[in-house]
Amino acid sequence: MLLAMLLYRSTAAYPEAVQGSTAMYVRFLAVSLGILCAVEVGMWLKSREQEISEKLNITAAPIRFWGLLAELVAYTLLLEPLGFYLASLIFLPVAMVTQGAKKPLTIGTTTAGVLLFVFLVFEKLLAVPLPERLWF
Amino acid sequence: MIVESLTALTNPYSLLAVFIGTVSGVLVGGMPGLTATMAVALLIPVTFALEPLTGLLLMGGVYCGAMYGGSIPAILLRTPGTPAAVATAMEGYPMTQKGKGGLALKVSVISSFVGGTFSAFVLLLVAPILAKFALSFGPPEYFLLALVGLAGIVSMADDESSLVKALISGLIGLILAVVGTDPMSGMLRYTMNNPDLFDGIAFMPALIGLFSISQMLELTGSGSIVADTSVITKIKREPMPKGLGKYIGTGSLVGTIVGILPGEGATIAAFLSYNVARQRSDKKELFGKGNPEGIAAAEAGNNGCVGGSLIPTLTLGIPGNSVAAALLGGLLVHGLIPGPELFTKYGVMTYAFILSLFLANVVFLIMGLLMAPHFARISLTPTGLLIPVVCLFSVLGSYAMNNSIFDIYVALGCGIVAVVLHKTGFSLGALILGLILGPIAESGFAQALIMGHGDYRIFFNRPQAMVLWVLIILLLVPPAYQAVKRHREKKEADTLQPV
Repeated sequence: MLLAMLLYRSTAAYPEAVQGSTAMYVRFLAVSLGILCAVEVGMWLKSREQEISEKLNITAAPIRFWGLLAELVAYTLLLEPLGFYLASLIFLPVAMVTQGAKKPLTIGTTTAGVLLFVFLVFEKLLAVPLPERLWF
Repeated sequence: MIVESLTALTNPYSLLAVFIGTVSGVLVGGMPGLTATMAVALLIPVTFALEPLTGLLLMGGVYCGAMYGGSIPAILLRTPGTPAAVATAMEGYPMTQKGKGGLALKVSVISSFVGGTFSAFVLLLVAPILAKFALSFGPPEYFLLALVGLAGIVSMADDESSLVKALISGLIGLILAVVGTDPMSGMLRYTMNNPDLFDGIAFMPALIGLFSISQMLELTGSGSIVADTSVITKIKREPMPKGLGKYIGTGSLVGTIVGILPGEGATIAAFLSYNVARQRSDKKELFGKGNPEGIAAAEAGNNGCVGGSLIPTLTLGIPGNSVAAALLGGLLVHGLIPGPELFTKYGVMTYAFILSLFLANVVFLIMGLLMAPHFARISLTPTGLLIPVVCLFSVLGSYAMNNSIFDIYVALGCGIVAVVLHKTGFSLGALILGLILGPIAESGFAQALIMGHGDYRIFFNRPQAMVLWVLIILLLVPPAYQAVKRHREKKEADTLQPV
């Protein structure tokens, strides 16, 4: 509802020329969102007595879930300084171990296979630009 | 002329070009972040060195193959290879979880083949007439067409409560689509002065986050995609489910019509076909839980778009979508100007190209049917290996579209938001639909109002617009009524229950 209000107010800053077109469209979205959120809150208040307050359970395996998310953020942060291949060489084995892979040979061959595939197909064949290293 | 075209097509070099193009297209389409547009654009310089016909056949094969290829990871990993495969993922992945990935792939390839072949027939027979029909669509009709697509949000809800949540999800998608440059004034909106947002929230990274990364995060608690490992033995050749014909037919027709309209893409065609199939189905309750009817309609829809999009491209020089635009570039490079001359002076080449689309459909049909049981085994890969590898390709796919690290953060953000939305009962499908249709709805609405000098009657006073209004009502009223009815019945059952 807050978003709806802010969105509605923001349309005042639109140029005069589009007040009757795109600004009108955005206002329509804002009003619709506000009304629907109010209905949703109303329905939630109505059914609150019947429902037992349940804690939002995002995942059954919190360590693996949040671990993967942290690894993905770290991987993204490392892409620019280390470049795609070095960052992936760290990310893949670490993420595989965190997600339960145990055999070093499988982890090693999968990592090598994936990177070789990216090199041959993405870089050489399709010339897709990959993040390049900045540090060294 | 057709005989000469057939002779040109049966040349070994031409056949090889169709084969290589189609197989490459399937591979490109199967990799998230690599789109058919990118592949065709990359091929243009390569075709300089080739005969014009060979180059065209290569590009046509890539287009057909990529449209089908996108469905493979969508079904097996809930990672749409192309945006057009999103609707396929919504039904295909639940089938994979039930150990029916092989069957889902089979339904997908057969539907893709029928959709692609049907649209190629339409292109061959009635292209010039349909091109004129496409030009009769103006901004009011485009806005209403977006509304037809958005009507699908209502049918995604199971009851009154989730109907409100689905509508809110759709609105959030539409609001996210507003970020970027105002299509009318050029003003920057909600970009926080971040140049990466000037063109709006990048669609492909958002899609990868909402579907692929969120699914990998949700899989962290499981050993493999297939929940019950006892169904492993079921991943084998299964017969096609009966009664899919009408959904494939609907998808092919809707896909071809949407494809003809300039600017409308295969993603919209797939969602519209999926929505119509959902309305017509006797098993509505199975949608979202692994219904092959949804895959059949969506795949026939997005492949139907291929031939459809080439109709205005070849006859008027107006590309039906971004892939057709890249293909148009390829035509112009070889001095082939779209218009009547393409069907007369250069008729042999043009008809050989159209006929090659049939061949490309046959190539991916054979490839898909042979490979489906083998592809399906991906779903048995332990998550310890699968999750990091899919995440790597998701990151790569998000980056590759605009060479932007910011896009990877968009994908990660969308991934975690999707998990929370899913757990709290909001509809991801509705959000995606809003995101896809937002730009078309906004520019159609704004342009129409400018055309009509602010008068809203412009949305009602044209025959095409009236037909679209009727379609919207037909799509909107029955599911909304059903949702309210189900909620009332549930409420009555609750009150009758002894305390």
